[in-house]
Amino acid sequence: MSAVSIHGLSKIFKGKRGTKVVALRNLDLEIGAGEIFGFLGPNGAGKSTTIKTLMGLITPTSGRALIMGKDVSSPEARRHVGFLPENPAFYDYLSAAEYLTFVGRIFKMEAPQLERKSEEVLKLLDLWDARKRLMRGYSKGMVQRVGLAQALLHDPDVYILDEPMSGLDPIGRTLVKEIIQDLKQRGKSVFFSTHITSDVESVCDRVGVIVKGEMKCVRRVDEIADGGITGYEVRHIATGSDSPESITVSTSDLPAILSELQSAGSHILVVEPIRKNLEEFFVDIVRQE
Amino acid sequence: MKNVAIVTLKGIFRDRIFHGILVNVAFFVLIPSIATLSMRQVTELSLTLSLSLVSFILLLLSIFLGGTLLWKDIERRYTYSVLGLPLTRGRYLLGKFAGTAIFTLFVSIVLGVATYLVVSWVSIIYPPERAILWGNLTVCILFEALKYILVIAVAFLFSSVSTSFFLPVFGTISIFLAGNVTQQVYEYIHSASGSALSPLVCQVAVGLYYILPNFSAFDLKVNAIYGIPISLSGTLLTFVYFVLYAAIVLGLAVLVLSRREMR
Amino acid sequence: MNRTIIILVLSFVSYISILGAFSRYMASRPIAEKLGYVPSVEVVKAVSADQKELVSAFFVTKVLLYFGGLLEKQQNELPIPPDYPAMSRMIHGAVQLDPYNMDAYYFAQSILVWDVGKVEIANELLDYGMRFRAWDWYLPYFAGFNHAYFLKDYAGAARYYEQAGRLSGSDLLKNLAGRYLQESGKTDMALAYLYAMEKGEKNPAIKKSFRTRMMAFQEVRHIEIARDHYRQTIGRLPATVEVLIQEGYLRTPPVDPYGGHFYLELDGRVATTSKFAFVSTKSVGKKNKVQGAH
Repeated sequence: MSAVSIHGLSKIFKGKRGTKVVALRNLDLEIGAGEIFGFLGPNGAGKSTTIKTLMGLITPTSGRALIMGKDVSSPEARRHVGFLPENPAFYDYLSAAEYLTFVGRIFKMEAPQLERKSEEVLKLLDLWDARKRLMRGYSKGMVQRVGLAQALLHDPDVYILDEPMSGLDPIGRTLVKEIIQDLKQRGKSVFFSTHITSDVESVCDRVGVIVKGEMKCVRRVDEIADGGITGYEVRHIATGSDSPESITVSTSDLPAILSELQSAGSHILVVEPIRKNLEEFFVDIVRQE
Repeated sequence: MKNVAIVTLKGIFRDRIFHGILVNVAFFVLIPSIATLSMRQVTELSLTLSLSLVSFILLLLSIFLGGTLLWKDIERRYTYSVLGLPLTRGRYLLGKFAGTAIFTLFVSIVLGVATYLVVSWVSIIYPPERAILWGNLTVCILFEALKYILVIAVAFLFSSVSTSFFLPVFGTISIFLAGNVTQQVYEYIHSASGSALSPLVCQVAVGLYYILPNFSAFDLKVNAIYGIPISLSGTLLTFVYFVLYAAIVLGLAVLVLSRREMR
Repeated sequence: MNRTIIILVLSFVSYISILGAFSRYMASRPIAEKLGYVPSVEVVKAVSADQKELVSAFFVTKVLLYFGGLLEKQQNELPIPPDYPAMSRMIHGAVQLDPYNMDAYYFAQSILVWDVGKVEIANELLDYGMRFRAWDWYLPYFAGFNHAYFLKDYAGAARYYEQAGRLSGSDLLKNLAGRYLQESGKTDMALAYLYAMEKGEKNPAIKKSFRTRMMAFQEVRHIEIARDHYRQTIGRLPATVEVLIQEGYLRTPPVDPYGGHFYLELDGRVATTSKFAFVSTKSVGKKNKVQGAH
């Protein structure tokens, strides 16, 4: 069974004075169990609309979406999901610990299990010391970490994370990547949106690019990487010089250039493939529009 | 629903709304001295003033809590995190309503105790001609609480439609004022002087009479102040009216909120 | 930073220095208690929502403060004609908002009846009140007094007194109407009534108004006694009050606390130019009003 399946999903927002804005157009997507899926797109492309539809926050104009085989119009679909909204906000008059208790009770967790898991996720996200303080005193990064904590709390099979890295410092971003990799190892499915390609590159199995409400392509991340070596950068120290210099060569020229440099007595430091990286891949797709 | 109610209550207390009410309770201290302005009914005036203060505080509470609680959740984007949980919109709304209603009842009890203290003190100094019927006073304050809980339900209905707090707050105030005069208007158009009105006006007025909440039914102040007997069947009927009207208003609110897009 | 502190200290010192003068000025300001305009009772009823009793009490209090302020001004010899119609309108508004408000009926009975002489209006008000305050013996008692004293409708008075007696459980009230049937007993009846009212009164303004009226009626009673004495000895009515003083029937010249002077009507009834109210200085009052407008 797919973790998430979306069929022909469209969403048209009715604006003021009868104008219509097509936010999503005929979207299809399957995310398998144990898969990490990165949802990439520029701002306003429809990432959040897709996620809000999955979470039942907005109703699709047509098409349907299922989570773990359950239609998203039912709250039951959200029972197996850990959801992190974009720039989340939580009842700021509660402490992190109280909020987790609230969330755990709604997921019908047993009290001892709730207490154990609550402690675990608070420690994991470095919120243990701040757990009794009211969230209105938290920094943006701390609130983001509370968001991750409440998504992880009930150990669901599916995670839907809207911009999980935003608002975090480099240490926090690394922590989130580690958490996602750990989830993958435990066979969980993760669907996360971002507009930062490096986030996707390091953790995702597959990536989908959405532009102006349409899914432009869905690819395996390693395919993009393998298929995209456009040349090599060769760094060497020429004879009679003390500083290294770099030259860029095409794939076909590489063997000839290398032997040339060797025969000239240059000291070759490093040969690096230049990949058409995800960023360029992404920019290319967006520019085609 | 229970969990949402608990969290709502916590929020109300942590936002220091109860502290604000306690400040208003300080006005009770002034009532005995103001009541002596009366020539012939010091105790009655102290009851009038106490009950007015009670309903005024409850009115402010119901309009501002009822009008802003849902709006604040949406405005501050709490709804994304809460409605992303396996919780129906209905349970969410009813939970919020239950929390607010429980708080209103709690405040009514506190204000009721203050009224008891003030009035019994005044009645010791200026013994009233007619004995105070404490039972009437209790029933009166209970129905005040019910009335304002109904006001909160109306405010929730407006909140479920609106994206700002203007409609909930001002809409609720209008409904509150209108709901207090419908009975008067209804009696007027059925009186001799009302027959001069055009039939259309009468029909509209009668229609509004049945649609708008009839808040005058909950007003038992006169019975509490002047010790006039309260009709048991009348209060029971009013209570049933409260339950049904609140159910209808909340049902509509749930319906509207469930269809609402949380963009 | 330092400048802020200096400004603060300077302001504070200046504030303290003017406080005394300011509060003296505020205390010396004339009381400008005005009754103002009562909008349509229907509108007030609608707007006061579930606070009708409070608004009613507010109306009565406003009338009372206005009246109290007037008395104070009279003491300071600043006669201003009381706006009786406005007071009456307010009282009527008050009982329409809260038909149980005893203060309103009481004020109407205490002030409006005596000072304005609108007995019929007061009786209507009392009848209206009796429909609501069905337990209260004061209202029929007031109505009974009005019928007997002002309207000389002794049958009507007896009916009301009986009702008052039934409600209070006191036989005394039932006999009241019969006791003062004669014209000669009228002043005694008024004095007895005023004495009872004055005794039960807490509000200083109202109490004072009762006391003034009692003083006037006591003077009337003195003149009446002297007049009757004169008639018994001489065989005819005296021509004037002055005759009674000259001939030694009255030991001291009577003083009207309302500022008028007593005289005898042709049929011998004692009357006063003040008509037992502070309205005799109307012309002065008018002048005052004009001055006030500047």
